Formats: sequence, structure tokens, C-alpha cells
Amino acid sequence: MLKEYEAALVEKKLLGIGNVLLTFACEDIAKMAEPGQFVNVSCSLFLKRPFGICTVDPIGNTFSIGVKEVGAGTKDILTASVGDVFSILGPLGHGFSFDGVKKIIAVGGGTGIYPLYFALDKAKRKGIPAICVNGFRSWQDAFFLSECEELSEKTIFASDAGDLGVKGTVMDALKLLQPEDLTDATVFVVGPEIMMKKVSAWAHVHQLSCQVSLEKRMACGFGICLVCVCKIKSDADNMPFHHVRCCKEGPVFQASEVIW
Amino acid sequence: MVDLSVRVGSVDFANPVILASGACGFGRELSEYVDMSTIGGICSKGLTLLPREGNPGCRVAETASGMLNSVGLQNPGLEAFLQNELPFMTGLGTRIIVNVAGHSTNDYQKMVERLGAPGTPVDVLELNLSCPNVTEGCMTIGATADGVYNLVNAVRSLTDKPLWVKLTPNVTSISETAHAAQDAGGDAVVLINTLLGLAIDVKTRRPVLQNNTGGLSGPAIKPVALRMVQECYRLISIPIIGVGGIMNAADVIEFMLAGASAVEIGTASLLHPAACAKIIKDLTAYAEDNCLEALSSLTGELKLW
Ligand SMILES: Cc1cc2nc3c(=O)[nH]c(=O)nc-3n(C[C@H](O)[C@H](O)[C@H](O)COP(=O)(O)OP(=O)(O)OC[C@H]3O[C@@H](n4cnc5c(N)ncnc54)[C@H](O)[C@@H]3O)c2cc1C
Ligand SMILES: Cc1cc2nc3c(=O)[nH]c(=O)nc-3n(C[C@H](O)[C@H](O)[C@H](O)COP(=O)(O)O)c2cc1C
Ligand code: FES
Repeated sequence: MLKEYEAALVEKKLLGIGNVLLTFACEDIAKMAEPGQFVNVSCSLFLKRPFGICTVDPIGNTFSIGVKEVGAGTKDILTASVGDVFSILGPLGHGFSFDGVKKIIAVGGGTGIYPLYFALDKAKRKGIPAICVNGFRSWQDAFFLSECEELSEKTIFASDAGDLGVKGTVMDALKLLQPEDLTDATVFVVGPEIMMKKVSAWAHVHQLSCQVSLEKRMACGFGICLVCVCKIKSDADNMPFHHVRCCKEGPVFQASEVIW
Repeated sequence: MVDLSVRVGSVDFANPVILASGACGFGRELSEYVDMSTIGGICSKGLTLLPREGNPGCRVAETASGMLNSVGLQNPGLEAFLQNELPFMTGLGTRIIVNVAGHSTNDYQKMVERLGAPGTPVDVLELNLSCPNVTEGCMTIGATADGVYNLVNAVRSLTDKPLWVKLTPNVTSISETAHAAQDAGGDAVVLINTLLGLAIDVKTRRPVLQNNTGGLSGPAIKPVALRMVQECYRLISIPIIGVGGIMNAADVIEFMLAGASAVEIGTASLLHPAACAKIIKDLTAYAEDNCLEALSSLTGELKLW
């Protein structure tokens, strides 16, 4: 049987402006989670809030999420102290597929870097080479730089301000990849929707398989309410699309299936 | 051992806790968290004759002690339900209620004929005359006493199975629509579906929901639901199933005192998948602590001032 966990916050680490890494004690989630899966975390508001799983420590029985403050729920979660107990559901959803993956180009923007970090970590353990491309607003906003460098063969950063890596977006950073970087690569993208759409189109042009992690407003997070649906291409004759649950069939989808 | 069982018309339930339509799918996901054979019953997602993809865009808005949804009856349609979902539900070992929705009287008739045929493994048909998120059928039918009467009357003779009529609170007089359900041969009324509401994003100055409006559920609506159950209990004679904002065993007791024979749990399962199991456990404890022989003896015991 699956369970709703009462998990204590065991560590809180400030990463960058408004971004905090929260570590929770929960043996089951630490042992079961796969990259791209998420947890639904209680806060003082009515609904839980979904966050991609960022790291797991199956020996120490902890896992972490990276949280960026954007509204009342994330603000409340970030005011918690070590020792506070949260009600957490997870690991939820379908994460990245590593089937047949020979090389990864991980493209992240904003909080997308959190689930990608977990994917890079798994890739490293499986001996799959990875290239990491990350976009930030500015140097001040950036975090996980050395961590990503450590897990990747090649790392390219981009910043809107131009004070870190390439000036511009991840699209500008992708232009710096060499033809051999693209050979046999699978693209994993997590970030703002507009960025994922552009990167998917880029991957399509270069004939690379691409997986995207979609973000929808959720309630239950485990598939019973149907509020979180994404538009996915349908092969039925009379139907151009299907509404598919982001929390259950996703959040990671093949980019080629997504209707943006 | 306390007797938690309840009877709603001709159907008995192991306990009064039923999973509400639209907040439990077809039981697959919750069965991973809860032993479903311990629940009183499960009510399917609202079904239509043909598959529906539901409404586009953002379908949920959080509110104070509740939420708005505008799912818009996304469902696989009758045939796929019979083929893929009903066999699964039958295996859960609990009472099966099917929530029937439609665009027209004709739709409801076809659905009731099929689902209500003698051999179908369905215990109860729940007529959804109350979904606020579609432009035809449902709430537009359930908005008036005449609409309710005519619809229930049009399907009554098509099945021998119990027909529960799920009513909308978005009316001037709930007892009038409840009466209409009773007069047309409904076996019970289910009170209430969601209240029509609106949430606004002040940054974009647009409704949060792309459907503009949605149905309000959760503890925010419990007082409204309780009042409606109590009002109808005094004025009609068929059983009432209470729904709206039930989060714990005390809420169930309140609904039973107000006149409910059984209850349905919706939004609580979204927040806590095992909410129903906890509620049943706590109901047992309540009954023991209060030396109740049968929980069902609470129904309608409220003494008004
Ligand atoms: C599968 C998944 C994984 C996620 N992973 C992370 C993560 O690793 N780290 C992280 O910081 N955040 C993540 N998020 C986003 C996070 O869930 C939201 O930021 C959070 O729910 C906002 O809650 P709030 O109460 O602070 O903001 P609210 O007050 O609810 O909203 C504030 C603003 O954020 C927007 N917003 C809120 N929720 C969403 C959403 N789900 N999609 C798009 N816009 C939204 C609102 O439109 C509003 O403008 C993830 C979301 C999903 C669905
Ligand atoms: C996401 C969601 C979907 C729903 N779908 C249906 C439905 O398909 N048919 C129906 O009769 N009621 C539907 N309802 C209404 C519930 O069954 C219930 O009447 C209502 O939510 C009030 O109960 P609650 O406060 O316990 O959730 C839905 C409610 C929610 C929250
Ligand atoms: S959030 Fe409830 S089904 Fe996805």
C-alpha cells in the first residue's frame, strides 16, 4: 500500500535569491524516487504544492526538493524550521525514461534545474555521458553551477544579464554545441513552458529524441481529480488531442506528443 | 463490535462512507492507498454517452478552505467505462454507484437503460443533475423542479435499480427540487454538488479558471450542505445522502444528525488519499465512546431549537 508520509524537514540550505533546498527524512521516498518524479507537499493553504525531487540519499533515508518562492504556498513552506513536519505524497508521476538513452543533453531554466540535477546524478551512476545547459537571469540568481559541472562532461551556462556564461537564453547556449555533441543524444528539458517549446522545436530540427517535464496546476497530484491535464496528440481518427493527467501519465512526456 | 452499516432504500452499505463522484476516478488510484473493500461504496466519475475531453486550460483554483474546479465532465464515455473501468470497480469488493450525466433527456435515457439493465454489476445509478461546468444538461436540467421531475420521470421506468438524484445547491429552494425528485420516483437524493463560484487573478485581471467559473467544494461549503440536508430531511421522505466538505468523522456525524442516511467524501480524498479509511476508523471509535449500537440510529436525531 502507498502512504501519505509525515516527513520532518532535516535541512534547509539557501541556494540563491529566493531558492532554497529543503531536505526531508523519508525512507520510502528516498528509496523509490526516480528522476523527474515529484512530491506533493502540505502548506498552510488548502492544497498541497508539487515540487520535483532534486536529490535522494537512500542510505541516509532523505530526499530534497528545491523551492523558489513565487506565492503564498511556497512562502509558507520556506518559513518552516528544521524539525517541522510536513504531510507529503510521493514519489508521484512518471519521470524521465532512460530506455535506450546513450547520452543526455539536459536543458534547464528556472526551477527546472532541480529535477534535472537528479537526472544528471542518475546518468552519472549509470555511466551515461551528459551535457548540461542551464539558463539563469543573472549570476546572482545562479546556483548548482559546480554541482552540474561535476556531473556533466560539458556545461554551458546562459544568463539574460550576460554576467554568467553566454548572454541570452538556453537557445543561445545550445548554438554553442558542436555536431559531435549531438550524436546519439537525448534531450531532457525542464523549465518555463515557452523555453520547453523552443527547445523541443530545436531538438526536432536536429532529429533528437526529447523529453519535457510539464507543469500544471494540481490538486490531488495522484490522478483522481483531472484538474491537471495536458494536451497530448491523439492517434484516434476523430480526435486531434487527448487530455492526459500531468500528475499521473506525466509530468515527463515525449516532446513529440505534446500540443503546446 | 459497533454496527456501522446503513441502509439507503433497498441497498445496504457496510458503513455510511461513500467516495464521491469526480474525486475518486474509478477507484484505481485510491485502491493503492486504501483497502477499498472497507469503504461503504464508490461512485464513478460522471459519465456521458460519448467520451469527453472536458474543459481546456487551468481547471483548478484554490480558495479559503476549499477549491474551485472546472473539469467539465472529462470521462471515457459509456462504452469504454463498461469495458475497462466497471470490471475493475466490480473487483474492489464494495458497493458500486455510477454517476450518470448527459446533454439531453435522450442521453440520460440511453445511459440508464444500459447501466440499469438487470445483469449489470451496478448497485445504484446516481443521476447527475448538478454539474456546473458544462453548458448543456446536468445543472441546466437540475436548476428547476420541473426540470428535475421531467428528467427523473423520463428514466424511472427504464430500470429497476435504485435511482439517486444528485441535486445542485445553485437553486432558490432545494426542498422543491428534492420534492420533484421524490415525486418522479427517485429512490434518494444526494445533496449537494458544488456551488458555482469565481476566482480572479489580480495580476492578469482575468478569471483563474479558463472556464471563467467553476464548482466550489471542500469545507467552505459544509454549512450550506448541512442546512440543505436538514431542510430536505424535514420535508421529504426518501433517504438523503449528504455531501459537501466532509473532512473527518465528526463531519459525518453532523450530516447524519441533520438527516443523512449515508455520506459521500469528495475533496477530502484529494488532500489525503486515505481520508475515507481514517473517517471509518474514527466513526467506529465515536460509536464505541458514545455506546451506540448502530451508527444509523443517528440519522435525523438533530433537535432544533
Ligand atoms: C510537476 C511539478 C514540479 C514542480 N517542481 C518545482 C520545483 O522543483 N521547484 C519549485 O520551486 N517549483 C516547482 N513547481 C512549481 C510549484 O509547484 C509552484 O511554484 C507552487 O505550487 C506555487 O505555489 P504558491 O502558493 O507559492 O503560488 P501561487 O500563489 O499558487 O501562485 C503564484 C504564481 O505562480 C503561478 N503558478 C502556481 N502554480 C503553478 C504551476 N503549477 N504551474 C504554473 N504556474 C504556477 C501562478 O499562476 C501565480 O502567478 C512544480 C510544479 C509542478 C506541477
Ligand atoms: C475535481 C472534482 C470533480 C467532480 N466531478 C463530479 C462529477 O463528475 N459528477 C458529480 O456528480 N459530482 C462531481 N463533483 C462534485 C463532488 O462529487 C461533490 O458533490 C462536491 O465536491 C462536494 O463534496 P466535497 O466538498 O466533499 O468535495 C466533483 C468535485 C470535484 C472536486
Ligand atoms: S492533480 Fe488530480 S489528477 Fe492530476
